Amino acid sequence: MSRHDPILPNAGIVARQEYASRVHSGLFHVSTLLLATLAVLVAFVPFFVRVVEGRTVTTIGVVSTDDPLAQRSISILESVLNTAGGSGGRSFRVVREVDERNAVSRVEAGSLDAVLIANRLPNGQLAFVFHAGEGLGEDRLQQISVGVFGVAVLDYSANNPLSGFRLPSVDLLRAASPGGGSQPISGAEYAGRRIVGIVFVVLIFITLVIYGMWVAAGVVAEKTSRVMELMISAASPRQLVVGKVAGIGAAGLTQMLGILVPAIAAIAIEDPLAAAVLGPGPSVAPSMAGLSVALVAAFLVYFALGFVLYALIYAAAGSLVSRAEDLQMLALPLSLIAIVGYLQAVLALTGGTAGFVRFASYVPFWSPFVMLTRLAVGRVEAWEVALSLGLLVVAIGLIFVVAVRVYAAGVLLYGQRPGLRAITRAALGAR
Amino acid sequence: MPLVVDRLVKRFGSVVALDGLSFEVPRGQVFGFLGANGAGKTTTMRIALGVLRPDGGTIAWDGIRSEDLPRTAWGYLPEERGLYPRMTILDQLVYFAGLYGVPRDRAARLVREWLARFRVPEFADRRAEQLSKGNQQKVQFLAAILHDPDVLLMDEPFTGLDPVNVALLREAFLELRDRGKTIVFSTHQMETAEAMCESVAIVDRGRVVVGGPLREVKRSTGRRMVILGIEGDHRLEWLSAVPGARVIRPGMDRSEIELDAGVEPGALLAAAIARDLRVTHFEIADASLEQVFIDHVGRPADEDMRLAPADGPASDGRNDAPGSEAAAGADVSAA
Repeated sequence: MSRHDPILPNAGIVARQEYASRVHSGLFHVSTLLLATLAVLVAFVPFFVRVVEGRTVTTIGVVSTDDPLAQRSISILESVLNTAGGSGGRSFRVVREVDERNAVSRVEAGSLDAVLIANRLPNGQLAFVFHAGEGLGEDRLQQISVGVFGVAVLDYSANNPLSGFRLPSVDLLRAASPGGGSQPISGAEYAGRRIVGIVFVVLIFITLVIYGMWVAAGVVAEKTSRVMELMISAASPRQLVVGKVAGIGAAGLTQMLGILVPAIAAIAIEDPLAAAVLGPGPSVAPSMAGLSVALVAAFLVYFALGFVLYALIYAAAGSLVSRAEDLQMLALPLSLIAIVGYLQAVLALTGGTAGFVRFASYVPFWSPFVMLTRLAVGRVEAWEVALSLGLLVVAIGLIFVVAVRVYAAGVLLYGQRPGLRAITRAALGAR
Repeated sequence: MPLVVDRLVKRFGSVVALDGLSFEVPRGQVFGFLGANGAGKTTTMRIALGVLRPDGGTIAWDGIRSEDLPRTAWGYLPEERGLYPRMTILDQLVYFAGLYGVPRDRAARLVREWLARFRVPEFADRRAEQLSKGNQQKVQFLAAILHDPDVLLMDEPFTGLDPVNVALLREAFLELRDRGKTIVFSTHQMETAEAMCESVAIVDRGRVVVGGPLREVKRSTGRRMVILGIEGDHRLEWLSAVPGARVIRPGMDRSEIELDAGVEPGALLAAAIARDLRVTHFEIADASLEQVFIDHVGRPADEDMRLAPADGPASDGRNDAPGSEAAAGADVSAA
């Protein structure tokens, strides 16, 4: 159409209508309330676990061929872990284990919570290997690090070797699952960043797929009720698509805030609550150590751009079907693109920043997941972020042109299954 | 001529929807766009609105081509009726009017005024799904006119309406015409067109078969009609002996008799007098628009709403249409 239709004010009017009709609907209220309740419950899980576990004893084994070293390790770890600030509702028992292999397999099987292997190297340096079972919290690992340092200091003062004090080497290993082997972790900070990364990736995935479907369902509903005929004569396809994506995006953001704010508030009150109910103790709340301002900003940027990209595709797809039932058939193939990105993000979270994950973090459909994860858990060069954002913006521009064309042709199709040829023709601008 | 549709061509794949369609509508007139389903009426309107792009030809209003006209020039009542089912009538009409640039308070006032004129002021706060089809149609009519467009494009506005609503909508049409609006409405109901239109165009397969002022179109076939009253004889059985004359609307007092092109009305009168019958009424009239349509197109506009003949499958009747159209064309040229 060569008619000049500026995007505003009509896109704004459509956006306001779309926003209001969703935010004021009963379904929106119910689903927001349910999800917010769920989020708060999940946030409180560590607290509940502590309440249920009560004062159970955590047993840590110490393996060493050096008797004095073993004794020192046991007494130091017991005092560090069981100090007033460090034990809370739990008590730690540190015991001597004889066989290293047997102890490690007991950790993996879960019958022992952790095992510390202490060795004296030929040059006098102490080498510690700590196998942590799944039940041991991330906050403990830092205390273990402090503890083994204390062991090294005591050991030095007792033996006074001529070589002088040497920093002990510490390897922290986490038992992944029975038989799954151990992998090195770099401590509490990494764990905190991983939690943030997981939360962000899950949030982005859910929002893109669910709110994308809102857009598609909105288009289909207008076609089904035939009100589309009035709309397309009152506003241009560009105005309608922009208004829909903006309005539903804003409604989605509103719901997300309605879920996140109570969840974050729950995390914030969790420690005081735990202190009040269980007495003084270490932090039970999920660590938000990895949450930086830059990361939140990146999340918002990738959420906004990712949503626009996916919502445009969902709007075009919605215009091609006439009934809500047909939309269900489109839902899976549409979400597959997002699922692939999601899986790669999970891959990146587990530490594999292999070549393909790096490549995927530039690809527009996946970068909202994968680059965000890399930002959360790893080191990313500035140019990489710029490249992925640039490609994302370019992709949005291209998809916008195609989506508006498909939409303009699609909304007039009723009853017929649009073939690939019809879609291609529409994408090329035929109407 | 303010509204000019000039040699419009539109193809959908291998289907030719519009095949050089042309007609003109004088400003301030009610214009009937007559044709069967699939004749190209809706496609023409969608091109005017910019929803579809023509493969050739133009539509212009007041000398400005449709693609350069603002959307507000047109008011459109689509054939497929639809509203937001869960939204109140007031809210959705204000929303639609807003898209055409009407401020919210003004739109709300207009909605209440018009609903009161349609004698349904209580509809303002009802949801669309609570209204009957006919009442939803009135609401859609309002959606088309709240922004005060110059041209109203109404696609089958009277289809599916009960007589009360037809009368209301007709009155509203005529009032808008009197305010200087140009109204184009498509229909396959010839009686409605005959009652309301100052000019018409009959379309078939994407072409205008005949168009112009109603009277000219009705005389275009050369066919005449006689309204005849004979004392003591309402069966008019003797008419079968008069070639080219047949009763199309029998009545106890007067009957409408259609004459083939070339048959003089006087011959009918002479035949009655020759039989010594007492003629109480004799009036020469134009052929009905319905008959004119059949003469030009070869089948009635609402053919697909009637049962096909019992001796063959329904599709056969349709396949026969092109042949009968050719025959009708021959009739016209003979006339």
